[in-house]
Amino acid sequence: MSKTKLQIFTNGLYKENATFYQLLGMCPTLAVTTSAINGLGMGLATTAVLVLANMAISLLRNFIPNKIRIPSFIVVIATFVTIIGMVMEGYLPALYSALGLFIPLIVVNCIILGRAEAFAYSNNVIDSFLDGLGMGLGFALSLTILGSVREILGAGSIFGFSLFGASFKPVLMMILPPGAFLALGILMAINNNYKSRKA
Amino acid sequence: MKEIITLGLKLLLISLIAALALGYANDATKDKIFEQREMANKEARIAVMPDADGFEGIDLDQNGITDDIILEGYTAIKSGSQIGYVFKVAPKGYGGAVEVIVGISNDGKLTGVRIGNMNETPGLGAKSKEVEFYGQYEGMSTDNEIGVSKSASSDTEIKAISGATITSKAVTKGVNHAIDAFKGLSK
Repeated sequence: MSKTKLQIFTNGLYKENATFYQLLGMCPTLAVTTSAINGLGMGLATTAVLVLANMAISLLRNFIPNKIRIPSFIVVIATFVTIIGMVMEGYLPALYSALGLFIPLIVVNCIILGRAEAFAYSNNVIDSFLDGLGMGLGFALSLTILGSVREILGAGSIFGFSLFGASFKPVLMMILPPGAFLALGILMAINNNYKSRKA
Repeated sequence: MKEIITLGLKLLLISLIAALALGYANDATKDKIFEQREMANKEARIAVMPDADGFEGIDLDQNGITDDIILEGYTAIKSGSQIGYVFKVAPKGYGGAVEVIVGISNDGKLTGVRIGNMNETPGLGAKSKEVEFYGQYEGMSTDNEIGVSKSASSDTEIKAISGATITSKAVTKGVNHAIDAFKGLSK
């Protein structure tokens, strides 16, 4: 392990991007990216949980025995998600009404369990924090891109602002479930093409 | 054997701390959450009945309303006298129940309709939350059942959201059920 702090942070942003490289967390990715704002909201909520869970697991890494690490991770993650949901509903109702739908979905997002297992369980707190932040922001970025593409094609707008005027006939399918698979596949193809040319 | 006990105890300890943290967080936020939900409900009632300065819950069963689409009923009060009714209904849309809040004045006019929690398709059925759609109901008469038209609205018909006829029909069905309840109550 001779990565610099910066490398740990940027690893998740692009190189090992959760969505386009690791293909983790596909269920929320496909389900919520019907608009740019939904993608961004889900991405940021996930980032918050990822950072907290990574730090907690890293702190507890010497206490949690190897054999029961998975149930321990799940308890820690589910606890964080539930508390964040409750605090948000009570004190930030506007944010909750926008993101409330996604909060319970974060528990089942395997990126969080994946980073706990692959990184936080064997690294110190600061590195785990950076890893969680990088992975989370990378996830938020790719969800926002995916949401933007689907919103532009499927609704003719971005972040709710209309782009093409009334004469534009949106491709409704793009904001319906099949559009999620099409957009994700095409974006991944573009990304892989770019990566393979560079290599 | 000893190892199993250690593992069990450690997992117990982690779960215990998690349970304590959850219990504490629940305790600290539950009043606030209740307050927020009440406030959101009250705001929706005021939105559909802007003239009222107070609302009183109606016991649905005691008033013979057995329609299970109707969730809640209120009388709207303005300076001590009753001016109309507000109903919360939950017809079934494309993605499950759609919460609709309906205000009806004593003289049988729709004073407002708002869409609450729902799970309709974003960009299609979710457009029912926009004023272009729900605003159509305002001022309509409750004398006739409200219909849904695909082309244009009229005195007795609203224009459906294009591509979301199911949602449009569901909301209208909810409004019609509220109208039926209103007629039953004001007899």
